[in-house]
Amino acid sequence: MATLSSSSASLLFSASSSNLFPLSHSSTSSRLSFSSSLHSSSASLFSASSPTFLAYPSSSSRLSSISASAAEKKKVLIVNTNSGGHAVIGFYFAKELLGSGHSVTILTVGEESSDKMKKPPFNRFSEIVSAGGSTVWGNPADVGSIVGGEVFDVVLDNNGKDLETVRPVIDWAKSSGAKQFLFISSAGIYKTTDEPPHVEGDTVKADAGHVAVEKYLEESFSNWASFRPQYMIGSGNNKDCEEWFFDRIVRDRPVPIPGSGLQLTNITHVRDLSSMLTLAVEKPEAARNSIFNCVSNRAVTLDGMAKLCAKAAGRPVNIVHYDPKAVGVDAKKAFPFRNMHFYAEPRAAQTKLGWSSTTYLPEDLKERFEEYVKIGRDKKTIQFELDDKILEALKVPVPV
Amino acid sequence: MARFVAVTPSQQNNQLSFSPLASSLSDFSGAKLQCSQIQFKRKQWQAKSGSFYVSASSNKKILIMGGTRFIGVFLSRLLVKEGHQVTLFTRGKAPVTQQLPGESDSDYADFSSKILHLKGDRQDFEFVKSSLSAQGFDVVYDINGREAVEVEPILDALPNLEQFIYCSSAGVYLKSDLLPHAEVDAVDPKSRHKGKLETESLLQSRGVNWTSIRPVYIYGPLNYNPVEEWFFHRLKAGRPIPIPSSGIQITQLGHVKDLARAFVHVLGNDKASKEIFNIAGDKYVTFDGLARACAKAGGFPEPELIHYNPKDYDFGKKKAFPFRDQHFFASVEKSKSVLGFENEFDLVEGLTDSYNLDFGRGTYRKEADFSTDDIILGKTLVSV
Repeated sequence: MATLSSSSASLLFSASSSNLFPLSHSSTSSRLSFSSSLHSSSASLFSASSPTFLAYPSSSSRLSSISASAAEKKKVLIVNTNSGGHAVIGFYFAKELLGSGHSVTILTVGEESSDKMKKPPFNRFSEIVSAGGSTVWGNPADVGSIVGGEVFDVVLDNNGKDLETVRPVIDWAKSSGAKQFLFISSAGIYKTTDEPPHVEGDTVKADAGHVAVEKYLEESFSNWASFRPQYMIGSGNNKDCEEWFFDRIVRDRPVPIPGSGLQLTNITHVRDLSSMLTLAVEKPEAARNSIFNCVSNRAVTLDGMAKLCAKAAGRPVNIVHYDPKAVGVDAKKAFPFRNMHFYAEPRAAQTKLGWSSTTYLPEDLKERFEEYVKIGRDKKTIQFELDDKILEALKVPVPV
Repeated sequence: MARFVAVTPSQQNNQLSFSPLASSLSDFSGAKLQCSQIQFKRKQWQAKSGSFYVSASSNKKILIMGGTRFIGVFLSRLLVKEGHQVTLFTRGKAPVTQQLPGESDSDYADFSSKILHLKGDRQDFEFVKSSLSAQGFDVVYDINGREAVEVEPILDALPNLEQFIYCSSAGVYLKSDLLPHAEVDAVDPKSRHKGKLETESLLQSRGVNWTSIRPVYIYGPLNYNPVEEWFFHRLKAGRPIPIPSSGIQITQLGHVKDLARAFVHVLGNDKASKEIFNIAGDKYVTFDGLARACAKAGGFPEPELIHYNPKDYDFGKKKAFPFRDQHFFASVEKSKSVLGFENEFDLVEGLTDSYNLDFGRGTYRKEADFSTDDIILGKTLVSV
């Protein structure tokens, strides 16, 4: 539950509609008024619902920006991967911290001149610099010398997937006097279960690299927090997510989905991950020695994601289900999501940090589609070899 | 700290006892409510709520519409133990009281001596209005209401009602690809539970202090809906378990005892005023997983699961599987964060409780009927 500890926060709320006050749980018949201030609702099936249970999402992020100026300014170091789905997390987090008045250095793995830096979010790092942040490059094992002996309050490792990679960063952070260590882990470490969702505290795969890091943090750092994300959408993403669906939908191609299409997964806007991390920085005691599922509070089925993408694109969708083994394709190569339930809930963040999710796919995907078209990707020529193999096996016609 | 105030029969009236410790809690219909005490885990709700809870209990005159079949059987016992005067409104078709499996003779005797019965048909609206008005009640629990018209005479009869607590259903939620269902979500005005929705709307419009509880699938000893029983019959018979489609459909069960506790938890609770709460288990479960959980609960070996395409069959009026063939589950985060309510049972524990107190003792509500299973298995075997 969001706690309003500062009086300046209540001033903020008194100026706005009472619907924004998180503690007044007005009647649920006001659900339409909830959503109207959150989304531009159209009369779609989903429009009447606000995904937040408690506080308004905007209110909690405004609350955190107020508390930043009222509270301590932190010096934060982000060690960021140079590729992959997690790359965008550091980018949003850096910008949010800077916007809240904190000081940020982002250390990206590798070299500034590398080809990898031509891709998003790296090709937008000027936004970090113009907001007052520092950008440096190098090998995380040499972090101490790269940052030139600078001392940070908070260190986030958004890079390593195993202890070998993260340990030098943890050890340096500890010896240089950092007070809080944050780690981007993965919800992929949860053992599969008959009883979803994955909840913090559930059994994880003992041999997972991220698990070894979490264990080491627990043993060696006095204030640590581990964040377990899933799939993300958001401008600046280094890895395709919704684009996979758009690619097929705008070209009037069938969308091949393995299995039943009922598999549930979390697809979260990266701004939610950023706001959770920011809350952890601003409430270090609440975040102390905790694990947080870094996901939105709604899951979506794979079929549902295809339908929502189509709706955002304003086009029909033709979903085709297939059995990867029967067709003879590797589902991991043919499809960007796990072919199973992969579903976690952000219960710890809601309870301990008073965090609220703002992801609302029906709206967020519209914005994503606008950018997809703006950059001309709908006109790009794409090969669909694996799709064609699947559709051939199923004897599904494809428009030429 | 909670203290239990001993009440003599003469004090047990419609009147509220105002303790000197009464707080300035929000008023409901002009009367101050004091919260009931809960015998089970109370660890969180006092601290979390932030509002001041009165420590002395006060007994209420409580009416339960229904109460002799499943939820009410457990709820009425909790309320009587708390010291309230509880009346069950039923037609008297089922015995007003029955000893629960595992319930001691002395507990049962105590309960039976205290529970009251108002015999009538709730479809006889005139009788409902006149009998309730004559008796007067502080609180009504409507456990078996289906249509809004059934609730009107109750509200008409009791203008000073402190709280109307309604057993609604998560079945009102509009089907969605975004899950879980939350209390703020869109509801389906065409669902077969629309009577529940219309009742909730009526309550909202009438200005009474109401609370609505939306359970998902309820389970536990004495369940009259063959939920766990359906699995237990097949497990006991050593039969494979036919599950429609992929088996990864996600559903959710809530133990009847946790539900009863939730109903007590909202009594006189200002955090529950004019609010809806989903009440069910903390975790959800796949169809396949539920079959395995039932096996664990009953000490059976891991079952053979047979998946079939329901579209290939016409079972007529018979149900081949006890759950909706879709994802169906609701978040209980609101009940935790707003009320501090915590479940006692997880799924396997709860199913074990149900097995040990009911099916495992040889009792069940419906005879085993494997006719649809045989149709499925017969066709599956033929096509192999």
